[in-house]
Amino acid sequence: MISVLGWRIGLGSFQEPGSGFVAFISGLSVSVLALIMIFSRIYSRVTQTTAAFSVRAFRRVPVAPLIITIGVLVGYGLFLDTLGYSVTTLFVMWALFYLFREKGKNRLFLSFLASLLATGITYMVFEVWLRSQLPRGIFPWW
Amino acid sequence: MEILHHLSYGFSVALQPMNLFFCFIGVFVGTLIGVLPGIGPPGAMALLLPVTYGISPVGAIIMLAGIYYGAMYGGSTTSILVNIPGEPASVVTCIDGHQMALQGRAGPALGISAFSSFIAGTLGLVGLMLISNPLAEIAVKFGPTEYFSLMCLGMTILVYLTQGSILRGLMMAGIGLFLSLIGQDIVTGKPRFHFGLIGLVDGVGLIPLVMGLYGVSDILLNLEKVAERTVAKVRTQGLLPTKEDWRKSAWPISRGTLLGFFLGILPGGGTILATFLSYGLEKKLSKHPEQFGKGAIEGVAGPEAANNAASSGAFIPLFSLGIPPNVIIALLLGALMIHGIQPGPLIFTDHPEIFWGTVASMYIGNVMLLVLNLPLIGMWVKILKIPYKTLFPLVLLFCLIGVYCASANVFDIYIMVIFGFLGYGLQKLSYEPAPLVMAFVLGPLLEKNLRQALIMSGGSMKVFASRPISAAALLVALFMVVSAAIPALQKRRKKVITEE
Repeated sequence: MISVLGWRIGLGSFQEPGSGFVAFISGLSVSVLALIMIFSRIYSRVTQTTAAFSVRAFRRVPVAPLIITIGVLVGYGLFLDTLGYSVTTLFVMWALFYLFREKGKNRLFLSFLASLLATGITYMVFEVWLRSQLPRGIFPWW
Repeated sequence: MEILHHLSYGFSVALQPMNLFFCFIGVFVGTLIGVLPGIGPPGAMALLLPVTYGISPVGAIIMLAGIYYGAMYGGSTTSILVNIPGEPASVVTCIDGHQMALQGRAGPALGISAFSSFIAGTLGLVGLMLISNPLAEIAVKFGPTEYFSLMCLGMTILVYLTQGSILRGLMMAGIGLFLSLIGQDIVTGKPRFHFGLIGLVDGVGLIPLVMGLYGVSDILLNLEKVAERTVAKVRTQGLLPTKEDWRKSAWPISRGTLLGFFLGILPGGGTILATFLSYGLEKKLSKHPEQFGKGAIEGVAGPEAANNAASSGAFIPLFSLGIPPNVIIALLLGALMIHGIQPGPLIFTDHPEIFWGTVASMYIGNVMLLVLNLPLIGMWVKILKIPYKTLFPLVLLFCLIGVYCASANVFDIYIMVIFGFLGYGLQKLSYEPAPLVMAFVLGPLLEKNLRQALIMSGGSMKVFASRPISAAALLVALFMVVSAAIPALQKRRKKVITEE
């Protein structure tokens, strides 16, 4: 795919390489390497071991926390400009502190307090001290 | 005498109040991230990159360099007290350092670790001063052909020495190279590979890429093994090593310094390989190798000296050739380029304040680190007790803020999340992200030099073989790739990496 993209925007010539020249070479290299890997797996005795390793690597994946964490991070991007730094960070940190809490303990209020503290401190550091332009969203006076 | 004159100029730059402040922030943050497992030096440097936009280039490099060598100091603290390395270069310190802590000798272990780091770091700087300038004088004669070939060699050595299959490493490098090409063509200025997304017209940012691959993916990996740490008790009074400790450590420190320094210069060699080789060397040379693994102080002194000397040596190819030998130095290169400065042989004449100011700041930083790591060890022990459940959400928050502040664009948050998820998957499947990042940083330079070399030679590929330095570099690179396929050499490489 990389090679095709490179080819489409123009390879140029050896005398005058075009925009897609290096991309074409990198794509070609990746393709050749992938082919070598596929063939070496087919003809190698360790195929089953490698396949078993890949399965084993993903067996312990905590699917729900993983999806929630990714979702929370994407959500931060989605709401940051609209709701502003303070509100979005407060809710996102609340979710993250709650997600990473000790197993079996319901720490909803404690998580909220921790997120309030984290939002306040980071706001002071980045907005007030470092003068970063954090988005204000629905609370323009913050 | 000329060196002393330059050094005094460097001190006049480094001792300016703001630069002193940035040096302190750098070594403090470096120690902090070294102490705290979860976010390594690349992640921390990426986090602080946006902060450096508003400060002078020399201040930025002083601070980022401080993070690098500061992390080498701090990493040993967790290795000794908790048996968890704060960063990869401190893995070896766990072996004997933690055993010493369990035997009630945490103080001398921390003490010898800090002193050997200080001695090696300082001696490494002397080497950096002596070698960089002459090497740069040779490098001035290099053209795009030599640069292209040397970059290929650097990439190949890095791939060769990374864990796992060399094919996987090369694939990662190929993908990193393609990612670096997204955005504007360096020759025509036309946007390419942006898939109609406005956020990609300027290319993929270094900060979201690194934050994702190192910061976010590390947290995602930790989701499945959130275990708390038990910190060994340490008496903060008895930190000074005894005369006997010094006698045992003197030669390991000297050997570790030499070994680390030269391995640091080698592309891909870096701090990790240096520590493992130093440990192996000390064990081999010791009259009592059976004591290694049971709390031998030589097993702490040698590797700690090696990783700090390597971190000094790693600056030589950056400043002399403009080629980073490892990912962390690649980030420093990225930071310099963001400030419009191209590291390389001309930096000594065009921006002497950058090189000499950074070198002088590293002397000052080493002294600061000694103070931070010995009298203030109690503070780091307290920080070590911060539970992961508090730490990880905060690391994620800093990643989010860091990425947003760098560009004020939420698109970069999505890029970070994508690379975080990608990094998670890659690490689960034993694909190293280091070659990808290295190729990503070197990509634009690689493309520029390749295209220039071809234009200058009238499209003849023979130019890469007809110039001696270029031909030698490409031959070595080719030999390394081919050797990975030869069974006998493959076994040898695997042995080196397994030891690592």
